[in-house]
Amino acid sequence: MTTDSNVVPVEHDPLTSMPHDTHGGISNPVLGMLLFITSEVMFFGGLFAAYFSIRANTPQWPPINPETSEPFHLAILPFVGPATILLILSSVTCQFAVWAIRRDDRVGFLRSMTVTVILGIVFLAIQVTDYALLGQEGLTLSSGTYGTTYYTLTGFHGAHVLGGVIMLSVVLYRGMAGQFSARHYDAVEGASLYWHFVDVVWILLFSLLYLLPGK
Amino acid sequence: MSSSQRSGPSQTATFALAIGAALVIGTLIAIVAGSDLLKAGQAFVTGLYPPIAVTDQGAQIRDLYTIVFLISAAIFLLVEGLIIWTVVRYRRKPGDDTLPAQTHGNKIAEIVWTVVPTLIVIFLFVISWQTLNVVDTHSAEPQQRIRAVAGQFQWQFDYLSADGKTILYTQLVPTGEDGGMVVPAGRTVQLTLVSQDVIHAFYVPQFLFKRDVVPGRVNSFEFKVSDKEAGQTFRGQCAELCGVGHRIMLFEVHALTGAEFDTWLAAKVAIPNATPPPTPSGEAGPTINVTASGVKFEQTTISAPAGKHFRIEFENKDAGTPHDVAIREGSATGKEVFKGELFNGVAKKTYDVPALPAGTYAFVCTVHPTMTGTLTVQ
Amino acid sequence: MATTKVRRTAPAYGSTLYDWVTTTDHKKIGILYIINSFVFFFIGGLLAIGVRTELAMPGLQFVTDQTYNEMFTMHATFMIFLFVIPMLAGFGNYVVPLQIGAPDMAFPRINAMSFWMLPLAGVLLLLGFITGGTAAAGWTSYAPLSLDRPLASTGSGQDLWIVALALIGTSSILGAINFLVTIFKMRAPGMTLFRMPIMVWTMLVTSVLVLMATPVITSALIMLFIDRNYGGSFFDPARGGDSILYQNIFWFYSHPAVYIMVLPAMGMISEILPVFSRKPLFGYKAFIFATAGIGALGFSVWAHHMFTTGAVYLPFFSVMTFLISVPTGVKMFNWIATMWRGQLVLKTPLLFAIGFLSMFLIGGLNGAFSASVPVDFALHDTYWVVAHLHYVLFGGSVFGIMGGFYYWFPKMTGKMMNETVGKAHFVLMFIGFNLTFFPMHELGLAGMPRRIADYSSTAGWNDLNLLATVGGFTIAASMLPFLWNVFLSLRSGAPAGDDPWEGNTLEWATSSPPPAYNFDRLPEIRSERPLFDLRHGRTDER
Repeated sequence: MTTDSNVVPVEHDPLTSMPHDTHGGISNPVLGMLLFITSEVMFFGGLFAAYFSIRANTPQWPPINPETSEPFHLAILPFVGPATILLILSSVTCQFAVWAIRRDDRVGFLRSMTVTVILGIVFLAIQVTDYALLGQEGLTLSSGTYGTTYYTLTGFHGAHVLGGVIMLSVVLYRGMAGQFSARHYDAVEGASLYWHFVDVVWILLFSLLYLLPGK
Repeated sequence: MSSSQRSGPSQTATFALAIGAALVIGTLIAIVAGSDLLKAGQAFVTGLYPPIAVTDQGAQIRDLYTIVFLISAAIFLLVEGLIIWTVVRYRRKPGDDTLPAQTHGNKIAEIVWTVVPTLIVIFLFVISWQTLNVVDTHSAEPQQRIRAVAGQFQWQFDYLSADGKTILYTQLVPTGEDGGMVVPAGRTVQLTLVSQDVIHAFYVPQFLFKRDVVPGRVNSFEFKVSDKEAGQTFRGQCAELCGVGHRIMLFEVHALTGAEFDTWLAAKVAIPNATPPPTPSGEAGPTINVTASGVKFEQTTISAPAGKHFRIEFENKDAGTPHDVAIREGSATGKEVFKGELFNGVAKKTYDVPALPAGTYAFVCTVHPTMTGTLTVQ
Repeated sequence: MATTKVRRTAPAYGSTLYDWVTTTDHKKIGILYIINSFVFFFIGGLLAIGVRTELAMPGLQFVTDQTYNEMFTMHATFMIFLFVIPMLAGFGNYVVPLQIGAPDMAFPRINAMSFWMLPLAGVLLLLGFITGGTAAAGWTSYAPLSLDRPLASTGSGQDLWIVALALIGTSSILGAINFLVTIFKMRAPGMTLFRMPIMVWTMLVTSVLVLMATPVITSALIMLFIDRNYGGSFFDPARGGDSILYQNIFWFYSHPAVYIMVLPAMGMISEILPVFSRKPLFGYKAFIFATAGIGALGFSVWAHHMFTTGAVYLPFFSVMTFLISVPTGVKMFNWIATMWRGQLVLKTPLLFAIGFLSMFLIGGLNGAFSASVPVDFALHDTYWVVAHLHYVLFGGSVFGIMGGFYYWFPKMTGKMMNETVGKAHFVLMFIGFNLTFFPMHELGLAGMPRRIADYSSTAGWNDLNLLATVGGFTIAASMLPFLWNVFLSLRSGAPAGDDPWEGNTLEWATSSPPPAYNFDRLPEIRSERPLFDLRHGRTDER
């Protein structure tokens, strides 16, 4: 037992464990983003659970619209189908951007990223149009369980798309400023993971709200 | 450990002294205050047991409680004893600097204290499940069907026909000699629970049972009050926070013998056909408006002429909530001189109030003790 | 063993307010968390004193029904969301990077942001008191009571509550991500997962729970907000919604939240007990598996809060609830075995740790009553439950927090706390705690429901309520020696030195308080007790 506990052995410099260190594997920001996505999955899990629970407890789905005495219906497939394809496409272009920057192909990276951001904005525009059309048909947030679940689920997805577009725009801006290279592209990787997640949520939502037959 | 401060004997002594002093002072205070410590101690120990159950189902739950209690008490004494003994036995003696044996674990001990508790909890689960299957059953043909309707902040009890489809009689007043849920002892009662607004819970401590009353859902359970409890009254209360009046949401359960119950119910069913009381004669006074909304009287002071009978036009604006107007001498706890008919909102009724001598009266809703106002007769 | 003097850097404290507000140093942020949590502890405590004062005698003497409902709602909200959870996150913030030999958290700026959301949320909650009433539907805020209904008397306070809780939830989630990345990626060389201190392990499991559970309550809060403000119909049965759905989603978070509130406290006493017993933690790996087991089982027991709703499958949730007591029991025996044949140095941190053991034991055993479904039919929503939850969260978490505070105070400030005053604090708090909460078991058995502002004088609850109120004031009184001790020690405490307790873990290898970026040099890490190895050499082989 040493009498002076201020004395510690020299084994290594603690600064070797600083963030940009050589532990290898996944980088801190990307791991952080993956964990954040996990929490987002649970968030949407809560909303989906509510949707399924309410749907299961309702005798008829979609329920009757009290104003027209007919079941609610979403007659907007011609818009939503293309929007879905655009969003899936944007996920692909986003991945192209990641691959490009990994190869240090900055031009390819910027090109793919620009396309991704534009596709995201188009998707949002279509969603706003959808809302306007549905509002005209009389489906609002306060028109019973159907309207509430529809707008909450798609609304929060839309908010996440908006968040993703902002995130990708920042990445694009930083990319134009030349901040990314084959050695440094954590932000690109993170933003792209988030964008894929938003895409997957939409595919689930699309299947649930538009494809799953009523009862 | 030469460089660090030592836990000297004086500190340990101070500590022991502090605990001792606290105990002695506590005991002295109790003696000076004149409490019978032995009696209080006895009451404290028996208080760890639920009240005697008055239903067959409650008795089963109480038996289960006994088993869980005994097992828990044994574990408590064992583990708490172990903690205290360890602390006393292995406290560091002054000047003893030897390092104790550095034991990292012991596989056998660890397996034992994993497996034994597992077996104990599985045993507890199995006996709980068995009891659950006895106390929470539904018979196809219960001997009496009652429906409790809960709303902010009162209970009403509908007596249903044998098939459960028609309401024979509705008991609007949840407490008191004329009110409350009257049940036949010795018969299986199926109680259906319906809420008009938020979640409530039907709870009778002596049943050792409660069940939530959930809007949008019909819950039910069965109970059989033991024969020997006939003639008794049991307190009941809402157990799920339901708003500002949660604490006043009381009710009573009156147990009658089967025969008494049949007579009671038959009499109650016959009442609606009885003729209304004749309107009082003499000089008529004015008509006074009283409105109840949001479990409050909108008028808190009203006045009426002395010696003349008068009318109260009472409007109940609370949908599904019963209110009435009763007039009491002096204050809300005074002698009742008039009580109007209780009815559910939204509705209006006119009460004919007999002539009253001059003075100050309180008017109250008999269901909601917080609803009061002042009536001045002059 | 090659040794050298650590280069002393001047303590980084004592600088300006600006420095503290803009800091991204995990130690300062940790201390900010702790101070902020104590502020809300005292606010929540005052509300509890209000509740106990009103209940001391039958009759409504001091407050209205509405105020009473606001008081217990805000008491629970402050204590859970702004005291226990952030307090433990604060200790985690201070201790985790030190214990794994890291210079800071992985994302220091996000760390600062996580903290500053908390006082903001606290202000939002307090705003309710001056804007016409806070939330008053209980901390559970069950729908439809928490929806805007005329008789529920829930005004804008309920909306403030929702927004504040969503903020706190976001803060927790960001904090959890930070902890996980820090623990996974920033451990010093040699600090393998199975050499991490138990405190770090409990923070790891807690962070996983936060990450998986907190977003779910955020979704419930958002749905509640939509129902209240935009005519939604998730939880309103009158509009086709389902009020039980709210309870399911709420408890899916709030049961794991119980473990979020107690696991790090368990971690703290698992640091204190070995140091003050001068022995290693008994069954280190078993302890880790028990912690992970509690975390995993914690997601499958939520509906035991809903046994009386008639809407859950009782046997499943009952058996899972019983089973979750097994890993907890394993821990209890491990702790006792750690002290067994040790040399117990009976200083204040150890006293609080022993207090934790003996009180948490009661909290575990009275929980077993409620796990038994038929017995729960009798006990649910009575004062028994109030007793149970306080034995777990006060007897457990708060005793653990106090132990941790006395244990790490010398590290945080470089000053020792006064032992005699500390012991007086412990004795008063221990007695007050039991006086307050033990009688509540009996009140519950006698049929007193929770959350009532008044009770009949003929119900037979008078004496026990008075006793509980006396206990409540005793707990409040125990805060005086505590605050006095903090004040005294900050002003004129004895210098602590680097390692006043002969600690086992890395935080004791650096100065007190540690410099920015924590370490100049690290000792070799070959077990979960690197400093013990340093003092005594390896005394055993695994």
